[in-house]
Amino acid sequence: MAPSNLSHRQTHNLLLISKLLSLRDTASPLTLLLDSLEQPATPLVKEYIRRARLSKIHVTLVAFETLKPFDGVDVFVSARRKTPADIVKEVSAAYTPGSSDNLNRRRLILIDSINPLLRSTHLDKSFDLSTFLSSFIVPGGTPTSKVDSSVVVTFHQDVPGRCAQSPYVPSPLTILTYLATTVIKLHSFSHILTQKAARDRSLVPPVFGIEEEKDGVLLGRLDKPVGKDTVEGVVLEMEYRRKSGRGVLEWYLLPPASRYPATHVREIVTLLDDHPLYRPPEEHNARGEEEEPESTFELRLTERQRREREGVVLPYFDAQQGDGPGEGGRILYDMGEEDDFDEEEDEI
Amino acid sequence: MSFRKRNIGLSTGTDRTSISNSPSQPQRTTQAPPPTPGIRPSPDDGRATISTGSPSLDNLMAGHGGLPLGKILLVEENGTTDFAGALLRYYAAEGVVQDQKVHVIGMPEQWGRTLPGLIGPAEAANEMPDRRKSERMKIAWRYERLGEFGAGVAGARVPAASAGDQIPSSTDGSLETQPAFCHAFDLTKRLIHPSIGNITYMPIAPSREPLLVSIQRKLQVVIASSPPNTVHRIVIPSFLNPTVYPPEVSQPENVLPFLHSLRGLMSLPTSRITAMITLPLSLFPRTSGLVRWMEILSDGVIELCPFPHSSDALSTSGAATAHEEPPQGMLKMHRLPVLHERGGGGDHNIGQDWAFTLSRRKFEIKPFSLPPAEGDTEAQDKARSDKMPKMADLEF
Amino acid sequence: MPSQLALPHLLIPYVSSPPQSSLTVLSSVLGATGNWLVLRFLYAALGTSAASNGEPMVRGHEAGRKSRVVLVSFLQGWEFWRLEAKRLGLDLARLTETQQFAFVDGLSELFSSPTAPAQPSPTLYQYPEAGTAPRTTLPIRSQRSPLAPGPAGLRQPIPVSTTSDGSPHKSAREAGPVKRLHLPVDGVAALDLFEREITAVINRLKSSPGGDGNESEVLLVVDQPDLLLAATGPSRCIGATEIGEWIMGLQQAATATVATVSADSPLIHNASVYAHQAATPLETEHAAFAVELAHRADMVMQLRNLETGAARDVSGVLRVSKGGAWGRRESAGVEESWEEKEVLYFVQRDGGVIVFGRGE
Repeated sequence: MAPSNLSHRQTHNLLLISKLLSLRDTASPLTLLLDSLEQPATPLVKEYIRRARLSKIHVTLVAFETLKPFDGVDVFVSARRKTPADIVKEVSAAYTPGSSDNLNRRRLILIDSINPLLRSTHLDKSFDLSTFLSSFIVPGGTPTSKVDSSVVVTFHQDVPGRCAQSPYVPSPLTILTYLATTVIKLHSFSHILTQKAARDRSLVPPVFGIEEEKDGVLLGRLDKPVGKDTVEGVVLEMEYRRKSGRGVLEWYLLPPASRYPATHVREIVTLLDDHPLYRPPEEHNARGEEEEPESTFELRLTERQRREREGVVLPYFDAQQGDGPGEGGRILYDMGEEDDFDEEEDEI
Repeated sequence: MSFRKRNIGLSTGTDRTSISNSPSQPQRTTQAPPPTPGIRPSPDDGRATISTGSPSLDNLMAGHGGLPLGKILLVEENGTTDFAGALLRYYAAEGVVQDQKVHVIGMPEQWGRTLPGLIGPAEAANEMPDRRKSERMKIAWRYERLGEFGAGVAGARVPAASAGDQIPSSTDGSLETQPAFCHAFDLTKRLIHPSIGNITYMPIAPSREPLLVSIQRKLQVVIASSPPNTVHRIVIPSFLNPTVYPPEVSQPENVLPFLHSLRGLMSLPTSRITAMITLPLSLFPRTSGLVRWMEILSDGVIELCPFPHSSDALSTSGAATAHEEPPQGMLKMHRLPVLHERGGGGDHNIGQDWAFTLSRRKFEIKPFSLPPAEGDTEAQDKARSDKMPKMADLEF
Repeated sequence: MPSQLALPHLLIPYVSSPPQSSLTVLSSVLGATGNWLVLRFLYAALGTSAASNGEPMVRGHEAGRKSRVVLVSFLQGWEFWRLEAKRLGLDLARLTETQQFAFVDGLSELFSSPTAPAQPSPTLYQYPEAGTAPRTTLPIRSQRSPLAPGPAGLRQPIPVSTTSDGSPHKSAREAGPVKRLHLPVDGVAALDLFEREITAVINRLKSSPGGDGNESEVLLVVDQPDLLLAATGPSRCIGATEIGEWIMGLQQAATATVATVSADSPLIHNASVYAHQAATPLETEHAAFAVELAHRADMVMQLRNLETGAARDVSGVLRVSKGGAWGRRESAGVEESWEEKEVLYFVQRDGGVIVFGRGE
């Protein structure tokens, strides 16, 4: 990839993720976080909350599996044993934008896990996932005050779905990925590195946790893989659908929250490709290997030397003329000015 | 760290006595000495155990020398053979002989007529000590150890704990003073015993309630109405077999509550119940979640894997000596009563490969080891004759 | 000698005083059961006073802070827990009397009505106003029995050896310091009933006098709630979500919660999204429940068999990992400094446990 292209991609995609995570310009009304036990979405959700606080965005947490609210959450709505309609009602009642201060208020609605809702046996037939989600984004009630709502939904990929009621209806996950404007799949950085290391050696990349299919193993993650330093951070595999229809795919790295203060304003997410552990600075190395090994004397030729060397007609050219044995086979050489010709030694 | 400090090497009789005398057995004082025949305290922790009717299965029960009261033993069998059924018949026949109450679920009364005939107490029928004496010089050391195992826990423990050499004499003594714990049966004969009529049969019959609920209720009533000290044995042959049970029984919401309430019934402090269930694995494979739950609900899980009939060569070569019966299949222990509910591990039988042999008179379980294949010995001989000179050539 | 300790040193940071409103998931398999670890949780919470025979209890808190324990067990009865705890030096019967421990029996009568099948379901309607006034005497089933009046929680625990003296079944069955759960109906109503009953027990322990006037901390241990799911299933209107919500309800009442589940391969992987085969509803629901529970847990302790097969001096492998909810609570800070670890353990015949690293 040409360096200019790469730097363009860097700036562009970093701006994009910054916009998405900070919920600017309602770039993504519905974001889907796909996590697993190997890499839960908690760090990313916390990052959302942190940024929302920095820019004074109202945060609502719809809790299907969380008992106590996260820090920084303005409204905590426990969804336990509630019908979807009740949840929507409670969420929209939780926030009434004060018309006095700012007309264009923004709000962030976090759903900590959509799986319990999708698996519930008590859903009536009329439940429709897309209307449920869009009712958060476009509340039916008051059109006077405009609220830009962004919904961030977490879906645990490793929780098996219910047996489909109808084989012809797409699965909830399919619907979710279709509806979402941004899909972020989370990976553990150390796993990504291990898998990359295996791929670089043309080995089958290892799998972790439930995917291992080992008896009794739910979680494969360990802080310190044997013989390795701690590699922290969350890898985000992002797919963003623009309004134009073009999709953007990019891999990012979110460093652990302990590495920066909560009030840090500058962008902390980097491209995965820019991380030294994922892609070691090989540009220099590669160029270095092309160069000749260093030594005390010069083995290289200048351009002119090279040209002149190529101009030399080698002895076998004459020998091929077939003038007989012993004929031909002379070196024909035009003397240059820098040749130190010695009449006695260098006889032609 | 010293893992081997305590009570682990359980292979000799002296160890065993030291264990049963060791102070770390709290239940010993709480359990009364067995007032009823057919019950004896476990040498491991003094809990009451009954015999499964086959001494070598008793010996596998993690050092308890029998099936502890209140425990469910699930015997699974691959293929269409019925070795598990033979184990079950021994179990039921032992109950009949000991005047215990046997409840047979899902089978008509004909099943009771197929119980094996009584030969006598297992210790008397077990000619192991004699044979060992006569063969002492012939048996290789490693098989001799296995021979001791056969006499092992069951033989050595009937009258207190005696050393291996005293088995014959003490067995004779115990025959007069103390009723036998385990009997020997002959599968080709039919059991004739006065209390054989006491078996209760609970055949599969249509009822208003779900099938297993009604069976459960019947069991509960029968057990509650029997005298308090009665020992019960619940026998469930070929559980969930579709030729016996209607298909809806194998729904988890029918099977699992049944097993769970059976477990509940047996866990009551006053109840003296054991149960043995056989399950055809070909119909309900172990890889299914339902079977795994049935295993979790059972206290002991044993899997029988019979050898295919064609492998005669393998089975004959697997026999330890010429006059021992060839093994008929492998036996796997997935879970043992008491041992695994405490956390598992530490039993000296764990990690062994077991083979079973069903003969006319007994169901025998032995450690299994594959002898060197015959082709290999030839190859070895050849190698020896061919290569040794070459080696010598090289050296000189 | 590490083997003499009821609580091995390596385990102490993991089992002692789980943080406020946390969930610890304990997963086990057929050949590596978790009862011994549950007992270690009990011991860590209750044992400080009981077993102070000169052993220094290394805990993050002073020995004065004791917590109380409610144990809800679906696979093991009272006798089992009482005897096994005794091997560790815990007298559960006495602790029950002093209101430090309560046992809720989910085994004996969960699916079967006890002795009188004539009156099947008054239990359900015994609670017209739920959640009002935590009475000190519980309205429990045994009150209906003429043989056993009086609140069960305060009754003297019976001695074990009633077996030999031939006491009548009924009285023995109704006695005991335990509360029994009974599933009378299908669906969420039954779960609601259980939740009210268990919450009442928790509240009773919380409010019972215990030295200082503050409410005591109550550790709730739910042993194999997955049985409830497996034995009812979606056809009885109880699915993974409902059981999960039920546990959440219990979590709200208790200070901290420990739940054990089975993680056997057929129960988890048959329904896994990574497996490409049809799974039965039992497997799907179980996998969903177990995985969701792990997502909600702060700590997941996984027990499994040794990969290399059974060994004489190793019972299994214990892996402690951070669950999906780890790090959600900001308040969690220094005191929660434990690291993920994988160790081997060996349960000895005398009930002691040795925990050691690989190769030690």
